[in-house]
Amino acid sequence: MSADTTAAISMVGIGKRFPGVHALKNVSIEIKPGEVVGLIGENGAGKSTLMKILSGVYQPDSGQILIAGEENRIESAADANHKGIGMVFQEQSLLPNLTIGENIYLGNERQFTKFGLVQWRALYDAAARQLEKVKVDIDPRMRADALSFAARQMVELAKALTLEEHAAGHLVILLDEPTSVLERAEIDILFNRVRALKSRASFVFVSHRLDEVLQLSDRVYVMKDGEVVAELAAADADVGMLHRLMVGRTQQADYYYEPLQMPVQDAILLEADQLACGAAYRNVSFKLRAGEVLGIAGVIGSGREELTRTLAGFAPHTAGTLKIASREVRLETPAEAVDLGIGYIPRERRVEGLVLFLSVSANITLADLASLTRFGLIDARKERGVATDWTARLKVRTPNINTLCLGLSGGNQQKVVLAKWLNAKARILVLDHPTRGLDVGAKEEVYELVRRLTGAGLSIVLTSDTLEETIGLSHSVLVMRDGEITHRADAARGAKPQQIDLIGHMV
Amino acid sequence: MAVKALRPEDIRKWLPLATLAVLILLVGIAQPSFLQPGTLIELASDTAVLFILATGVTFVIMLGGIDLSIQSMASLASVIVALTITRLGYGSFLLAIVIGAIAGFLSGIVHVRLKIPSFIATLAMGGVLFSAALVISKERSITLDETGRAYQAWITSQAFGLPNVIFIGLLVLAAAHVVQAHTRFGRYSAAIGAGEPAAYASGVKVGRQKIFAFVLSAAFAAVAGVVLAGRLASGSPTLAAELLLPSIAAVVVGGTAITGGVGSIWRTLVGALIISVVRIGMTFLGVNIFAQNIVFGAVLIGAVAITIDRTKIPIVK
Repeated sequence: MSADTTAAISMVGIGKRFPGVHALKNVSIEIKPGEVVGLIGENGAGKSTLMKILSGVYQPDSGQILIAGEENRIESAADANHKGIGMVFQEQSLLPNLTIGENIYLGNERQFTKFGLVQWRALYDAAARQLEKVKVDIDPRMRADALSFAARQMVELAKALTLEEHAAGHLVILLDEPTSVLERAEIDILFNRVRALKSRASFVFVSHRLDEVLQLSDRVYVMKDGEVVAELAAADADVGMLHRLMVGRTQQADYYYEPLQMPVQDAILLEADQLACGAAYRNVSFKLRAGEVLGIAGVIGSGREELTRTLAGFAPHTAGTLKIASREVRLETPAEAVDLGIGYIPRERRVEGLVLFLSVSANITLADLASLTRFGLIDARKERGVATDWTARLKVRTPNINTLCLGLSGGNQQKVVLAKWLNAKARILVLDHPTRGLDVGAKEEVYELVRRLTGAGLSIVLTSDTLEETIGLSHSVLVMRDGEITHRADAARGAKPQQIDLIGHMV
Repeated sequence: MAVKALRPEDIRKWLPLATLAVLILLVGIAQPSFLQPGTLIELASDTAVLFILATGVTFVIMLGGIDLSIQSMASLASVIVALTITRLGYGSFLLAIVIGAIAGFLSGIVHVRLKIPSFIATLAMGGVLFSAALVISKERSITLDETGRAYQAWITSQAFGLPNVIFIGLLVLAAAHVVQAHTRFGRYSAAIGAGEPAAYASGVKVGRQKIFAFVLSAAFAAVAGVVLAGRLASGSPTLAAELLLPSIAAVVVGGTAITGGVGSIWRTLVGALIISVVRIGMTFLGVNIFAQNIVFGAVLIGAVAITIDRTKIPIVK
């Protein structure tokens, strides 16, 4: 075998399970020297788990990792670096209060150390040489927080390239969503640098932006439900094709219990008129009717996340009017939203959704202890009754109601969050990526619950990881881009819009 | 043989009680007179002040904070009682407790509204209270006269053959237990201590609960000061000095997590008794009483080391 064809890294038959989720099933990928490999898939497809295995954060349950053809293990992030694997993460890892130079050599200062003292000039000279590799002209003595996001990204890249000084084999740099907050011109610069650096390193490029993946990559792996479903040369692919592969099924009406989608009622529960919140979004107007699922579609930066937070009471609007049950309101805190009958199901289920170290019962009653309180005391028997009732109605699988939520699977945890809001008699549920991290079966249960609840007159505002889910569950879809509504689509039963039609309004 | 392995959480739950029993036995074996009813009653009476202080701070620790001002508050309360008891009579006790509640309210406001970490807010408040006690007492210990002591009979006399102070301790136990285990405030503080973002997102008014916890902590500290003034028949700005470390040690040794979320007043009772047994046991065994805080410091570190689940805490500041 010649050096050219030996993969810098290959992962063979990698499997990884987490409690309740089979995150990776027999995944094999290889990265050849000097190649840019694209990795795409919907949220939950297993991309980040795979990246975390490559960067030493997780250990696989099964399968092999070959580095330069030899079986190997990646024990930790430091070990990954040692073996020539560098990372440029979406949430950047530079420490804002250190200088660029200190950041680039953080943890590797020893080479500049004499008699226990760091030779700063040598370090900054070396840092300047690194910055030259990525062709950015900044003073390594500047603090990291003085840089723009795009410049910091370049510094990260320069930092990753320091690995070539001491790594044994080929350098492989993982780029995890590096473009998600960059402007077009900055993206072009980044891509040019990456192309220029192909002689020095291979790249794995993880992104949601399919056009960019095609633009930059030589080869693309498509992941879905923890498996690699396709591997193809970028030259042979187009965006539509990748998207079909990623989603993997033509809109299945049954999957989202579409036959159970009931017509929307007339009563308006919530009305936004010219709503705005700082720079995040503006001119947002819509009505939410009883029994309606209103989906909000948009990419990162579209303002839909902030709109969701506004409705849940975390980010009060700064202009326009918001009416709940015909009364004008401004939601300063979640407590105010809760009092007005809004329940928030956050994406960070384990942080904002549940108190993991409290019991199932205490979590279910947390948002409405007032109704269980008599003469200042919580009625323990009534509380048990309420908790038992809800666990049965939502089929929460738990040993008993006194079990800590910590031990439940993701799907059951999500049901506890739902039970909390149903118990608090919420009329409007704000679902913020409600199926994130859930396996297929648990997702279906959530979908069925959404149908049952809206059938009973509850309203839902939905932001979701996938467009398919948004369309599948919603009665109507608002599409947002750059903080404004760009499109409104009707998604009645049997007349769902196509994803492609909405994507045009998202990007 | 079907021996069920002890789960770590069970060990954490029962370890304090087992420790208490073992300690009593150990000291009892070394000095049998320790187990005489008279000594045990003395032990219980001595524990009361520590327990009341520890109970107050339990509320704050439960929701993840700390109150370092309690010993200064207790001392200040004793001074207030000593200065006003001849004029105000029973009203002096009320005055001390109300001032305690106000001090706690201020600590709470500083912590919640100015977003200053509770250990800084209460460290500063402790300084303020200590100085206030020094100034109003003119840096002196004030011994109470006959008239004053008459008003303290409810603390110093006996009923059913037991010192009243034991009943006061039991009363505090009952009241605090109900607040902690059976009210919304108690539930909310557990929720805030274990997962503040989730509690906030569930509509819990987090700031309000925290402020109330500081009010309780300082008010209980004032009660402890009142009781202590009664037992020592005096008030002094340093009356409760040396009680901060044992109080916090009592809470933690009892098994309440220093990080919040897990704990109860019962555990604090067990913890306070452990501290008392160690303290009195050392006297019985002839250990220099000035060496006590060495032991309490070591016990505090040991207890936290045993009870904390380090796997869930990646970073400690």
